[in-house]
Amino acid sequence: MNGAAWLSYSLQDFVMFGPEVFLRLFARINQDLWPWLLLWPLAGLVLPWFGRQAAELPRRLAMALAGLAWIGCGYLFLVRYYGPVNWPATGFGWAFVVQGLLLLLLKGRALPAPMTRPVAVSWWLAILLLPWLSVLEMPDVWALALFGLAPGVTVAATVLLFARQPSPLRWLLLVLPLAWTLFSAATYWALGTFWLLGFPVATLALLVVAFRVNPSPEQTPDSQSVRPGPGRQSP
Amino acid sequence: MLELSRRRFLIGVGLSGLAVASPRLMAAGSTPGEQAFHSRPIPSTGESVPAIGMGTWITFNVGGDQYLIDQRTRVLETFLERNGTVIDCSPMYGSAADVIGAGLDKLGAHDRIFAATKIWTSDGSETREQAATSERRWGIDRFDLLQVHNLLAWQEHLATLKEMKAEGRVRYIGISTSHGRRHRELARVMETEPLDFVQLTYNVLDRESEERLLPLARERDIAVIVNRPFQGGSLFRRFQSEPLPSWAGEAGVGNWAEFFLKFIISHPAVTCAIPATTSVEHMQENMGAMYGQLPDASQRRMMAEYVRQL
Ligand SMILES: NC(=O)c1ccc[n+]([C@@H]2O[C@H](COP(=O)([O-])OP(=O)(O)OC[C@H]3O[C@@H](n4cnc5c(N)ncnc54)[C@H](OP(=O)(O)O)[C@@H]3O)[C@@H](O)[C@H]2O)c1
Repeated sequence: MNGAAWLSYSLQDFVMFGPEVFLRLFARINQDLWPWLLLWPLAGLVLPWFGRQAAELPRRLAMALAGLAWIGCGYLFLVRYYGPVNWPATGFGWAFVVQGLLLLLLKGRALPAPMTRPVAVSWWLAILLLPWLSVLEMPDVWALALFGLAPGVTVAATVLLFARQPSPLRWLLLVLPLAWTLFSAATYWALGTFWLLGFPVATLALLVVAFRVNPSPEQTPDSQSVRPGPGRQSP
Repeated sequence: MLELSRRRFLIGVGLSGLAVASPRLMAAGSTPGEQAFHSRPIPSTGESVPAIGMGTWITFNVGGDQYLIDQRTRVLETFLERNGTVIDCSPMYGSAADVIGAGLDKLGAHDRIFAATKIWTSDGSETREQAATSERRWGIDRFDLLQVHNLLAWQEHLATLKEMKAEGRVRYIGISTSHGRRHRELARVMETEPLDFVQLTYNVLDRESEERLLPLARERDIAVIVNRPFQGGSLFRRFQSEPLPSWAGEAGVGNWAEFFLKFIISHPAVTCAIPATTSVEHMQENMGAMYGQLPDASQRRMMAEYVRQL
């Protein structure tokens, strides 16, 4: 296809489903997995508590929980529910599963220093507030976008962990979240589900938070410190 | 797949008679309100099809959502109740083929439709395999119409489709495009290949095909399926808040859906328009365009001028 032909396409031409179909995915997965789905957000809530420990084992557990969240979100939401109405979602879903497995394999290495308080607070805010974006759009409380199932919340929260990694691992782990952020933002824009744009926006904002208040290990002399001072910001 | 029922056969025979008298337009009294019912002959055989069909892009891609599958089945039911038969799909449309299949199963309507899908793969050797997969998803033995989607690998697919038609594996073959793309190439295919159907975009705003493709279709006896009759819905977004022209009633137009669709099906080269909808009410409105008076040539010009001014 030549350049002129590509120009005749609009973003809407690439979206092959309607907003109702997409929003109902959240409600359907929650209803189908009730009450077991509560395990995921519960894991999300305790994760920072593990992540803030000085001992390595709890921090390994934090990374394992993050890995499980990526696997749950990738296989259940993206492959099983979203994939049948949108081809690229299946590809993203399997990539999420691989990223989740990678996090499980990395274990403690993936969280080299305890989470700082601002990061933990940002995490909790993400887990507790972002799920309501899909309810604002639907509106039905069953449509809550839960951590570990809904990609928007899962990606937004976990970039806080990925940004903490030493390079090049940090960038390796951030490729997929950034690709998802771009892809989902384009989708929500084309669908006209503007509240959902809060997910990609929050992901980028949390990434900025992570880089600013959570210096990478190379820049942190005391990488095991539980309480880094507010002045220790990365440039 | 369309296996003619007795009632439809009788209507068909009646309409074919009319077609001989007036090949451009076939109209017969039928529901609703015993108004004229518009169908058109497929030029290559004379078999008639209703002038309004149903598209399924986006609207029928609802995945495994049982609530929405049931709702779309009601849309399909309304379409069939209003004498619609032509259903258009493509392997490109996600789960739409499965949702059509589920609806046909529930309504027991496999033999009441004119089943049209497309071949959409850049692998020119996959024509038969993809057709077989679509048959399975729809729950039918063979398609009435297989079209090469968007001219993708059309040389290879068309060669196989011609073989399949000769073997009786498909009744009609065709090729599709949309959004006014690749018209020159499509014209070349129409000039050189034995097509039964072409599918293209035509509506009151997108009228490029009036120049070359529609006259060529008449010249070459090729049936025309019109996609994007509402420009993907944007015609409603742009014009629905505006009043219909004062002379709309004289052109047989009672609402905007009829305005847009009657403009299309009153073109002498058009066989059938395939609007898509998720809504039973919209389906009722759209099927309304298949009944009653149609605008004549001068009224068509006034319609185009009216929306241009808006
Ligand atoms: N290259 C190709 O082969 C190709 C390309 C494009 C399309 N197609 C075929 O052509 C079909 C039709 O094109 P399309 O689906 O792109 O667009 P379309 O039929 O022009 O427009 C569909 C839109 O119009 C709205 N609509 C339908 N009836 C309405 C009514 N009475 N009042 C208000 N709104 C109404 C629908 O919304 P609601 O759901 O709210 O009713 C939907 O959003 C496709 O479904 C597909 O089968 C083929």
